[in-house]
Amino acid sequence: MKNSPFSHAKWARHFLSNTILASLMATLFVLSATTIAAEDQSYQALRDWIDNSRPGPQAIEAGRHLTEKDRVSVLESLIPHSAWKYYIFDGMDMEVATTGHYPAPDDWGKSVASDYALDEEGTLVGFTGGGFPFPIIEADDKLAAQKVIWNMLWRPGKGDYVMPMVTWLRSEGGKLDRVMEFTATNTTFAHGDHSLIPGYEEVKSKSVSEFRSPRDMAGFKNLSIEYIDHHKENSGWIYMPAQRKPRRSLASERTGEVNGKDSIREDSNGFGGKVYENDWTYLGKRKVLATINVRTNPEFGGPHQWVPHNARWEVRDAHVLLIQPKTKNHPYSGRIVFVDAETYWTHWMFAFDKKDDQLLRMNQHFLKYSEYYDIEPPEQAPFFKQDYSKSLGAQVFLHLGQTDIHAKKPHASLTHCYTNRREYTAARAKQVFSLRNMASGRR
Amino acid sequence: MNTKNLKQIVLLLLGSVLFSTHAWGIIDIGEDIELEGVIKAQNIFRASGFHGGKLIQQRNTAQLDGKYYFLRENQAFGRFSAGPIEEATFTFSARGVYDSVYDLRDDVFNGASGGKSEYKLREAFIDFVAPPFTLRLGRQQIVWGETDNFRALDIINPLDLSWHWTRESWEDIRIPLWMARGIYDIGKIGPFDESFLEVVWVPADVRPNKITTDPGRPWAYTGAGLAERANSTIVDGEILNLNVDVRDLSPSNKLSNGQGGFRFKAIWSDIEFSFNYYYGFSSSTGSRVRSDLAEIIDDTYYSVIERVNPRTHTVGLTASFTEEKFTQSIFRLETTFTKGIPVSIASDAPLSVDPDRDQFDTAWQSVIALGIDRPTWIRALNNKSTFFISTQIFWRRFLDYNNFYLGTSAVIPARINNEVIPERFIRTNTNRRDRDEFVFTFSASTNYGAGGRWKPRVVLAFDPLSTGGYNKLTLEYLHSKHLVLKVDQYFYWRLNGQEQGPWNLGDLWGEAGNRRAETVLNFIFQF
Repeated sequence: MKNSPFSHAKWARHFLSNTILASLMATLFVLSATTIAAEDQSYQALRDWIDNSRPGPQAIEAGRHLTEKDRVSVLESLIPHSAWKYYIFDGMDMEVATTGHYPAPDDWGKSVASDYALDEEGTLVGFTGGGFPFPIIEADDKLAAQKVIWNMLWRPGKGDYVMPMVTWLRSEGGKLDRVMEFTATNTTFAHGDHSLIPGYEEVKSKSVSEFRSPRDMAGFKNLSIEYIDHHKENSGWIYMPAQRKPRRSLASERTGEVNGKDSIREDSNGFGGKVYENDWTYLGKRKVLATINVRTNPEFGGPHQWVPHNARWEVRDAHVLLIQPKTKNHPYSGRIVFVDAETYWTHWMFAFDKKDDQLLRMNQHFLKYSEYYDIEPPEQAPFFKQDYSKSLGAQVFLHLGQTDIHAKKPHASLTHCYTNRREYTAARAKQVFSLRNMASGRR
Repeated sequence: MNTKNLKQIVLLLLGSVLFSTHAWGIIDIGEDIELEGVIKAQNIFRASGFHGGKLIQQRNTAQLDGKYYFLRENQAFGRFSAGPIEEATFTFSARGVYDSVYDLRDDVFNGASGGKSEYKLREAFIDFVAPPFTLRLGRQQIVWGETDNFRALDIINPLDLSWHWTRESWEDIRIPLWMARGIYDIGKIGPFDESFLEVVWVPADVRPNKITTDPGRPWAYTGAGLAERANSTIVDGEILNLNVDVRDLSPSNKLSNGQGGFRFKAIWSDIEFSFNYYYGFSSSTGSRVRSDLAEIIDDTYYSVIERVNPRTHTVGLTASFTEEKFTQSIFRLETTFTKGIPVSIASDAPLSVDPDRDQFDTAWQSVIALGIDRPTWIRALNNKSTFFISTQIFWRRFLDYNNFYLGTSAVIPARINNEVIPERFIRTNTNRRDRDEFVFTFSASTNYGAGGRWKPRVVLAFDPLSTGGYNKLTLEYLHSKHLVLKVDQYFYWRLNGQEQGPWNLGDLWGEAGNRRAETVLNFIFQF
């Protein structure tokens, strides 16, 4: 074969161009595959992530800041698949702290009555609080999922707070559609071997919330009574300033969006429905990133300003539950909830559309441990200053907010809670959480 | 209100909003004072058909509400011990109104200017909280009952019906009264839970419903027939001028005219109920015809009518119940027995019916109202939020009824020998009231769009006896944190017949010549 510089050069160019082309194509393929994978928000994609990606990365050194560059090596292993689209973005910054240990209150579990059980539907009967109903969860227990959710529903810190809140409703691109200010307060009645107010043993907790703005909602109040008996629906009243009187509200409709928010009542803390209305599957444990002990109320970032940014995260072990509604009319085919294995607070919830098994709604929660309130107090509410030292010593988590995303609108509701611990005396609780207080309002 | 005052108020409001560091909602001044309010321009176009709508209202309202927390945690003004009083606040609501339609149009109102402007401190009260007792003292609104926009137990405050009848939020048209309201929280007692006792006392503030009869006013109540004043009467086939001397005998504001009542409210076996009693004056004004003082001088008939508001006793019972399993509905019940309802008696009534010959009596009346509320999925129309559907049916019955009770009167052209006499109008009343009166209401509302900012609502009211009804279609758009746009369309209609009902629906305002189909455009700035 005659050597020809020209033909060598031509071959070299040909080789080079083909190589570049192939590389470009390969890169594009990988990128598009990555993008497609990131965009895949099906139920099956999340189930595959749960089933196949364990055990996840090794421990991340404390103080490390994760960015979009850590996508493949870390983020995709620790952020549930359905959330990649929102939580992994250019310019992101997740500080990862050492996984902490957060002890429950010293007296937690000491006043639990012993005569309680799960019935055949998985409903907890006879439990009156004071501790976790099921301190040990066995993976092979057929009722493990229900037991986890009962621990979540009776977790320490669930009640006894004053919680001023601001909710921002944002469209894509961060367009702000509405801002709401309101305050909620709650007191726990059921303390295991006693009720906060003797004679009210049937009551689990009571809560009151009141809107402060915008003007078209200001003064709107809600009183809710939750009962020990899980089969009994909450009693509720609303006070509307335009009507100047209370009227009863219905508790059993839990699947509609309220006040334009992107969540439904059943999404509350991952699961706010009735255990017996669902089928339950325990999917095991999974390590996830969680904003479990944030410094303060996190700022929101990402292309739509929908997710926490520059916040402190931890890698946490979470129980993973699949909850499937029994009724055909429910908008969800199922929801997958990640509940912290130590504290039983919910970190992530993903709900899938019954029509196509694609992500419909999700939420993710920001928490802070009370014993950090002195060294790094959270932000004060813009309209209500509180003495955060009152939270110290409680040894509970306080809810500092959440992000609720409706994947198909698409739209998000972002909430900052400026939560402070508040333990009411029996006399004060009787006054604050009474129907009498619903007879009138701020106007 | 003069222009200077108006400018000062507007500048104050704008300044508060624009220079507040936290201006999306309530404005805080220090830690103890909160201000909020609304500036609203309401434009009403009325059409008698499907064309030719005319502006009949251009009402500009500025309302400022404030709250001053002067006593917290048993400390008044941060320094004085207040003993058992844990908290106290002062609340006020002031409203200035200017209806520019009187300046924009001078062709239809015959020089009338009533309702052109208003400047009032509507509400001003102090709340004291001394558990288990709370006390609200001052000018205020109190609403009892389970029904919406119906006067059975919601009778403590009269209504201002002069500027848009009842077709406004009742919060805005109730006339606040100076009164005391005390509530004692009982809690659990016997079989009852969440119980409390409420006592209301109105020492010396008696006001009837405010109604204008000036035909020049867009929402004057002129009855059926023509929007004219009756200027004539026919006696023995001869037409006479009519001179009516209206004497206001409504109760004066003195202690002996005090009003008051109480209610006990509690929950029994998941049924919330209340027992109410109120001793007051009828807010509807009755007319006593002093036929003994009537006389004819030359060609004028002189008549004397006394306007009276009788004493009333109202006993009521309410109940509400949520049925969560089968119907997922809230059932509301309200029932009252009232003594002292003013009624007009036909002039041809026998002495046994009208012994005083004053064409006036008071009656016993009962009301039973049943309401059902239900958040309802209509996924074909909205797959994200439910429709809040609320239906009510009211049954009102005269317990001591007689056939001579009169309904709505009418102004008609005067006729002699079937010939209309120009510019002469007489008042006639051939409408007899029924013993039983019914009205049915329905409303459905939901929300759409990002943040639920589009809020449509449909309202229907229907009287099955007169077959008159009306529809209201509303669309509210929450454009931003401050700006709200709202459009209402009212249709009044009647299915058939000529019977006049008592509810002022399409049987009255759907008829030719009195038709009040309206389009209402609201521009609202809130803060």
